[in-house]
Amino acid sequence: MRLSLLLFILSLKLRDAALRNRAFKNYIGTVRLNILIRTRDGKSGRLFVFDKGSVSSVKGANHACDAALVWSDSGTAFTVMLKGTDEASFQAAAAGKLTVEGMSYYIQWFNDAVKLVM
Amino acid sequence: MTQILGGHLVGKYLKEIEKVDTVFCISGGHIESILDSFTEYEIRTVDVRHEQAAAMMAHAWSVYAGTPGVCLVTAGPGFTNAVTGIANAYLDNAPLVVLSGKHPLRDDLKGALQEMNQIDVIKSITKWAATCYETKRIPEYLSMAFRHAVSGRPGPVFLELPPDILNVRVPLAQVPMSARPTRKFTVHPDDWDLRQAADIINNARRPLFIGGSGVGLSCCSAALGQFIDRTGIPFILTNCGRGELPDSHPLSLWDVGNVGIQLGMMQADVVIAAGLRFNWLLQSGAIIPPATKVVRIDIDPHEIDRNRTADAGLVGDASSVLGQLVPLLKRGEHSAWTRDLRAASRAFLTSELELREKPSNPIHPIRLVAQIQKFVGEDAIYVIDGGDTCYFGLTGFSSREKAGVMATAAGLLGCLGTGIPFAMAAKLARPDKKVLLLNGDGSFGFNSMEFDTMVRRNIPVVCVVNNDQAWGMIKHSQELSIGAERLQCCELGVRPYEKMVEGLGGYGELVTRDEEIVPALKRAFDSGKPACINVITDPTVTSPATPLFYQSLKMD
Repeated sequence: MRLSLLLFILSLKLRDAALRNRAFKNYIGTVRLNILIRTRDGKSGRLFVFDKGSVSSVKGANHACDAALVWSDSGTAFTVMLKGTDEASFQAAAAGKLTVEGMSYYIQWFNDAVKLVM
Repeated sequence: MTQILGGHLVGKYLKEIEKVDTVFCISGGHIESILDSFTEYEIRTVDVRHEQAAAMMAHAWSVYAGTPGVCLVTAGPGFTNAVTGIANAYLDNAPLVVLSGKHPLRDDLKGALQEMNQIDVIKSITKWAATCYETKRIPEYLSMAFRHAVSGRPGPVFLELPPDILNVRVPLAQVPMSARPTRKFTVHPDDWDLRQAADIINNARRPLFIGGSGVGLSCCSAALGQFIDRTGIPFILTNCGRGELPDSHPLSLWDVGNVGIQLGMMQADVVIAAGLRFNWLLQSGAIIPPATKVVRIDIDPHEIDRNRTADAGLVGDASSVLGQLVPLLKRGEHSAWTRDLRAASRAFLTSELELREKPSNPIHPIRLVAQIQKFVGEDAIYVIDGGDTCYFGLTGFSSREKAGVMATAAGLLGCLGTGIPFAMAAKLARPDKKVLLLNGDGSFGFNSMEFDTMVRRNIPVVCVVNNDQAWGMIKHSQELSIGAERLQCCELGVRPYEKMVEGLGGYGELVTRDEEIVPALKRAFDSGKPACINVITDPTVTSPATPLFYQSLKMD
């Protein structure tokens, strides 16, 4: 529940930034990319759709995507994402609580986009 | 009194003083007497089909043979054709000696054949460029050329020799000849700087060592091995430095490739960078967080604080500096940090690691590379040329050999077309090793006529074309930037490159399915001929290098 709320808030912030945040708008440019954040059990998740300057979002963990951040559980996802640091993500990955499916560069790109709105 | 032709002084000096046994060239009227000197002094010539390949092969010779590479080009277009190879060597710091013909001084400014101001063209991409005006001074000029090529930070040098001095005879007794080959000097850092660097390294909790071409040029396997054994620091070696310690070393991070570099540099508390420039591939140093301490080792003092102020800077040859540093270092143990770094990197590489093991149709380039590696093994030299192809090859190949995995197009010049010349030079320098070239289909076009050279000179390189039917990196960048519906000048279509090689007398085979890869490789190596396996791969696949490339050119 907490994770779903966090992802929803993130989607609002990204959508708003695509309209108003100049640095963010420049950063996302005309990229078309689908990034999924989900838990390993498939119970929680949200798809973030970047489409030539606009951002939209759909609830759910079973969408097709270019890359996915897959968390071991929603509690870990919530804690680490709330911290928002590279070190926290690194420690989670090292502990086997976070994996990336698809091209990791897209996830790095997404994380850098998120940093611009936080 | 014994007389000698000016051109013969070139061969005599190269063979007797510098012990040069191979020269890369194309024939030309202006340089005829030099070519004849190679017969006289029994120097092997490798005559190519375009001077660009001659320059690139000589550059590669310096990498694989460990001695300066020499190329000989004729005046005018022979010279201009070589310029790309010379520029590439300049940005790669390779000790390349370029000897060039020149229009006759007698006819200067008269509109002589192939008359042009070569020196002004070449000055900005060489360490040293000169014209020799007197026959008796030819050995002296050659000695200067070699000295400049290898001293300090190595680089290409250029010497032009006009017919006025090459085609006349002088008494041999009146020609001063050096008594010995060019010496290589080393520079030592200040003791205080050494102690400061040792202090930083001794107190590091999450250190990372990253070595570049300077590590390879200094041949520092022994010193680097001692440094790594003593400190227990995980490391990654890139460019010509790769292979100074084997990729399979327990502390090497090549099993997690570029992701390991990225994560390691972002999470380390100390980065020790040796013989490595902080260029665009490392975001000009910005990839390293501000709080991270940086120890730089470089033979060029100007590199120490370039793009990132170093906390300790050690000027000198990497081997010499590491040798001096080791006695000041405490025995270290960083196994937990190394394990975390490797595990986190693997977590980010889940999909790539799965792709290696899973048959794919259409063939995924990652799978192609994995199958090649499985068949060819670590006792081989891998050369990679292309855009996306470089990423797939660099992360998927591993070797025990010095400079055993080189993405020749991934240097600062981003010079496509280098793969074929480098692979040829690798096979000539180390004929006992298998040489496998992975070439993008775009870059294959630049020097593919050199398969004729391979056939004539019996240089059995096996080239696998990763054929995505496009200039893939550009195509996928355009998809990101201007849209897939507006692609421009980036699609190539399916072309039978294997038949072209067959037509020249080599071995060729087309591969379209996963299960055909390994049998085709076996037949290619068994043929004993220069070979081309044209593998049709998935044209939709993008490597992480493409978005990195795309982002680097964004201006807003």
